[in-house]
Amino acid sequence: MSEFILEMHNISKSFAGVQALKDVSIRCRPGQVYGLVGENGAGKSTLMKILAGAYKADSGEIIYKGQLREQATAGEIIESGISIIYQELALVPEMSVAENIFLGREPRRALGVLNLKELHQRAAALLKRLGITPNTRMPISELTVAQRQLVEIAKALSQDADLIVMDEPSAILAGNELDQLFQIIESLVEQGVAIIYISHRLEEVFRIADEVTVLKDGELVDTRPIEQLDRAMLVEMMVGRPLDEIFPQTQHEQGELVLVAEDISTDTILTSASLELYAGEILGIAGMVGSGRTELARALFGADPLTGGRIRLVGVDGATWSNPAQAIQSGLVLVPEDRKAHGLFTALSVRINVTIPILRRLTRFGIVRGAEEEAVVERARERLSIVMASADQETQYLSGGNQQKVVLAKWLETDPTVVILDEPTRGVDVGAKFEIYKLMRQLNDRGIAIVMISSELPEVIGMSDRILVMNDGRIVGEVGQDEATEAGIIALATMSNSEANGQ
Amino acid sequence: MNLTARFMSGLTPSQRLFLRRHGPVFAVYGFILILFLIGATQSERFMSVRNLTNVARQSAFLGIVALGQMLVILTAGIDLSVGSLVKLSILVSALAMNGEPANLGMAILLTLGLGLLVGLIHGFLVNEVKIAPFIVTLASLGILRGVSLSISTSPVGSASRDFIMFYVQKIGPIPVIALMFVVLLILTALLLRYTAFGKYLYAIGGNVEVARLSGVPVKRVRYGVYALCSITASITGLLWLSRMGVGDPAIGDGIELQTITAVIIGGTSLFGGRGTVIGTLGGVLLLVVMANLLVMLGVNQFVQGLIQGIIIVAAVALYKQEGD
Repeated sequence: MSEFILEMHNISKSFAGVQALKDVSIRCRPGQVYGLVGENGAGKSTLMKILAGAYKADSGEIIYKGQLREQATAGEIIESGISIIYQELALVPEMSVAENIFLGREPRRALGVLNLKELHQRAAALLKRLGITPNTRMPISELTVAQRQLVEIAKALSQDADLIVMDEPSAILAGNELDQLFQIIESLVEQGVAIIYISHRLEEVFRIADEVTVLKDGELVDTRPIEQLDRAMLVEMMVGRPLDEIFPQTQHEQGELVLVAEDISTDTILTSASLELYAGEILGIAGMVGSGRTELARALFGADPLTGGRIRLVGVDGATWSNPAQAIQSGLVLVPEDRKAHGLFTALSVRINVTIPILRRLTRFGIVRGAEEEAVVERARERLSIVMASADQETQYLSGGNQQKVVLAKWLETDPTVVILDEPTRGVDVGAKFEIYKLMRQLNDRGIAIVMISSELPEVIGMSDRILVMNDGRIVGEVGQDEATEAGIIALATMSNSEANGQ
Repeated sequence: MNLTARFMSGLTPSQRLFLRRHGPVFAVYGFILILFLIGATQSERFMSVRNLTNVARQSAFLGIVALGQMLVILTAGIDLSVGSLVKLSILVSALAMNGEPANLGMAILLTLGLGLLVGLIHGFLVNEVKIAPFIVTLASLGILRGVSLSISTSPVGSASRDFIMFYVQKIGPIPVIALMFVVLLILTALLLRYTAFGKYLYAIGGNVEVARLSGVPVKRVRYGVYALCSITASITGLLWLSRMGVGDPAIGDGIELQTITAVIIGGTSLFGGRGTVIGTLGGVLLLVVMANLLVMLGVNQFVQGLIQGIIIVAAVALYKQEGD
């Protein structure tokens, strides 16, 4: 057996005439962490789906544990010791944490009866290794996205994998969860497991990877040991040009008060939150995953009905809303965290995705004017440089960054006064991230107020004029841009946490 | 396979997309063509004007309800009650008309109003009580059927004379009923393509939560779509009255499954968000022409059911091939 556990040679794959991968080769040794980076659409996910058996390569070969791998089912591939944790988590929402972890491999007693006690014990033990102790009987649908991610990792651990692929595991993890993840990775590596780690956060790649492979436009740029790279080189390899400025700055005065929320609560964790929002500013919302940030965004947008408090737009008489349709009419929009579940019609065309909120405006005498519809899509494509084959293309075939741009484009067309962005750069590569930041500044310049939720503290600090810190469903503090530090924000969030625990 | 690949590679991406998405619909029409060829060569009566007129009328009887059914299925819903509503509609209209030309307008309005009411009730239960469409309309299937059969188990009422004539009326060689179907086909296609309502149907079927968060008036659209579907059933009840001349309670059974079959063969996804009028027309024609041809060829009617089942599986298998 060779020193490599996995060798993928000259893999090529195209979809409907678009070359997604061209002659890409990678090799992995046991006990090493491989960073796989590249912009959206570079082919990282496609390569991993070929490894997982979800796609069949047009050409090339895969040698796993010294043997040429023939066509195999996803089940056989998992059996052979390859675990893949996808960006879109593959869990059954209505089944419990433990049932999901052992789905298809449930411990049994005689006669095939499930051993539920052992099921939950083993699940709890696995989760303990990850440093968390959730209720293993809780249905997945009740968990936050970050908690689901940890369940996926527990599932991979339970499969005794020799090779684990993590597709953007950190995109939805915050602070201490991330540290846990790295500890887990380190202990797996000590046990001889090979890890392929896909991430847009280069700091992480530098922190844990032994070797980095860069893909661009479906082609291999290079594979190098991490010691031979620095951040600037890596970025340049990814985007093909040097990137100087990450957070574009603008000078502006605080604008007029546009929105006031007073003591709002919903049927979720969100409790008695109050905030004021001014024209042309970015209000950052920081806090751990599960602290109620998404719930705050949904409450502002009318997606969850209020159980207390009120929200009003200043200067617009009687502008209240109790559902998203009314919120949109009042000038609020929400770019949700979970793009596929809440932001995008994945099976429908780019055209309908972009025009859906403004169809009524495009309608005259009951007829949607096709020419205007096309013009809107064309404008969106230009404004946000969306890469797509045609307006008819289903959005599921776009890369993550382009999907996010479609969601943004859809809302910009409504001419909003308040834009709520929930994790706007999640799963988005460095280049597209910068474009999104620039776009946010452009919106500010037009006087649009932005509420931005993000798990990436540098992003929150770099972009926000003011930062609200949330914990346990409450807003626990406000920090101005000048005084904001990562340590300070984390302290604010965790302090209230320990207070709560102490009571 | 190699040939297909080579053919596909000669096309532009958007042509390829079109073919991949609509290829199976072409296959359905190809199959209808084959049925016609078999009919023309194997049966003396199949291509007769009389028979083709019949086929056109039968297509309208199935097709009008199938259009309503398709709209509902596009939203990822379903309407199992259409057959029972056709039955109730023929009874109500026959009793209301009672052979009197003077009652004609009132009877038609009453019947269409009945359809509207039933549809709005479906919409209410789906929207406000949040019961799954399958369950709402399954209950409705039973209730409407029960109401019908408690009105009468034998033919009642009668159509007025001029209303009976409606069934046989033609413009040129084409039955008026078939023309009516064609008009409704075109209207539905325009509705789907050029109105916000039509696009909202796809949006709701595509992902109802995304639709809601995008400001789509989900409830209103659902009220509308169930009302439209039920009205197509009421219209079909009226057409049956015109054909039978009396309120025959035997009419209507199984129409729900026939329409769902036609819609599926036409390529509409049962999970919503995908489907075309031209596909549904293909599904309707395929079912009607095949049933007609099998009768012409003297094939046992139990075998018809068998063949229909095989076609459903074959059609859906074909649609599954798209995408990869």
